[in-house]
Amino acid sequence: MSKLVGAPLLIGAVAYTPNVVPIWEGIREYFDEPETAMDFVLFSNYGRLVDALQAGMIDIAWNTNLAYARAVLQTDGHVRPLAMRDTDATFSTVFVAAAGSGWSGPGDIATRRLVLGSADSAHAAILPLHYLREAGVDVDHLHIQRFNSDIGKHGDTGRSELDAIDAVLAGDADVAAIGITVWENIGRGDLMPGMLEPVWQTETYSHCMFTALDTLPESVYAPWVSKLLAMDWEVPAHRRILELEGLTRWVEPHLEGYNGLFAAIKEQGVDARW
Amino acid sequence: MVVMALMRTVEQMAEGDTAEFAVASASELELVRRWCEKTGNTLVSTLMAEQDTGHVTVGRGRPRNPGSMIPADRMPGARLWLYTNFHCNLACDYCCVASSPKTDPRLLGIDTIQALVTEAADWGVRELYLTGGEPFLLPDIDVIVRACADRLPTTLLTNGMLFRGHGLRKLQAMPRQGFALQISVDSPTAEVHDSHRGAGSWERALAGIRVALDEGFTVRVAATISAHDDPALDELHALFDGLGIPRADQVIRPIAHQGVAEEGVAFTRESLIPEVTVTADGIYWHPVAALDENALVSRQILPLAPALDRVSELFTQQWSSATATTSMFACA
Repeated sequence: MSKLVGAPLLIGAVAYTPNVVPIWEGIREYFDEPETAMDFVLFSNYGRLVDALQAGMIDIAWNTNLAYARAVLQTDGHVRPLAMRDTDATFSTVFVAAAGSGWSGPGDIATRRLVLGSADSAHAAILPLHYLREAGVDVDHLHIQRFNSDIGKHGDTGRSELDAIDAVLAGDADVAAIGITVWENIGRGDLMPGMLEPVWQTETYSHCMFTALDTLPESVYAPWVSKLLAMDWEVPAHRRILELEGLTRWVEPHLEGYNGLFAAIKEQGVDARW
Repeated sequence: MVVMALMRTVEQMAEGDTAEFAVASASELELVRRWCEKTGNTLVSTLMAEQDTGHVTVGRGRPRNPGSMIPADRMPGARLWLYTNFHCNLACDYCCVASSPKTDPRLLGIDTIQALVTEAADWGVRELYLTGGEPFLLPDIDVIVRACADRLPTTLLTNGMLFRGHGLRKLQAMPRQGFALQISVDSPTAEVHDSHRGAGSWERALAGIRVALDEGFTVRVAATISAHDDPALDELHALFDGLGIPRADQVIRPIAHQGVAEEGVAFTRESLIPEVTVTADGIYWHPVAALDENALVSRQILPLAPALDRVSELFTQQWSSATATTSMFACA
């Protein structure tokens, strides 16, 4: 599909917190120039977002890593990755246990009760199992508990990871798999002194991605991407948006960071739709 | 565990919203402080009881810089309002300062005004607004206007009904540059205006506007609209357009529930972006609240600068906690 001449670029995103509205209103204001004018549509889940991208209802989808992978798989690769957050290029999963456990590395996780986040959260459910398997853990025989707290939102709310932490703190589980964002937001444990300690951390992988179909003309997306990459942390109006969205700058796609997820989807038989 | 509570609650709140959390120790309070700093949220206030237990209020997001949301000419301290007097030839039923012919004049006086204006200009005030009461009841209003307009751009609020005889001569003596008149007209026809302000007042206000325009003054018009009246805004704008008043100089505002008004928009000091206001009785937060003890900043009129500093400081404090509910009320 191609954008209607003169119409604003239409971006789709998932409304996982009320702040999605001011974030996108701020982004829309930032792009309010003839060459880059845009509007946004909010969806309740990533399944609908990817459907809308393929149906041509939107020009660009703000996808999680799983939504990006599904867009790739459902279109036989006919997508165009456009840009991601700096924090998306270096995402990882951290396995945490109660302070004092003394456990370290995947070997210590193999024999413990592992608690995972929502089943469609790549960072809190899918990739933890993939990287444990890669590290030699027999994940088919792991004792696993799941908190499917926000299915459809791919773990964006962080709620399932907090549920997993609570399970560890309550003694109902031994190790929780959480995204690096949640781990950073508790100061890598410093803001919960004497409660949690890291056991193991995966390699870095890629998370969210602005995704178009490969039929979107370069003349349409290029000015928009160029302006997106120009957003500046040192400009207060930009910083507010960047801080709410959780990044310091937008960067070019890091596609190699999705290899683990594509492998995990195959290994675990993750549904191509959700 | 306060950080877990913060993570569960604050991350799901809309920007600007606040929530209260219990803290059980000084170290938990410090954790809240550090978490807010790390995650881009705001510790709005703390209410600690004995033994280091208490409550904290946390707001989603960082406090927004008021300068990014409020035009520079509306920032606290940009405007200074002076109530030259409180008596009036009219007794409007919605007057926010209860002016009438029987009201004690409570004059500021030229000497005080000159001192105020000198201090205001030095402090950084950008514009002066003279109001009352009806300023044209003052025999020296032309002198007052000149003293103000010589230092800062000045607007005089008037009902426009006294531009005859001595009033006209005083008007003619006023400067045309750096000075504007703001004349009240509440409706496109006499009926509604006169029902609030007195029989014949609409005709005379219109006549006053024409006199002021003929004399070469910049004239703005201001309509105060009751929720019970048909605002007839299209007709009102058409009337003002027909007089040659640019749309930017046509101010339309609701009645404020102050003074003798029995209806209108209710305000608190916290809900208004301040426009520092000096009367003979003291310095107030905003001109619509110049009788309101809750809006009193200082009984002492001079020196002015400490009150301007104080209002700016209070506004900065309140901005971080009440951004969502603070609003401008346009008197001019």
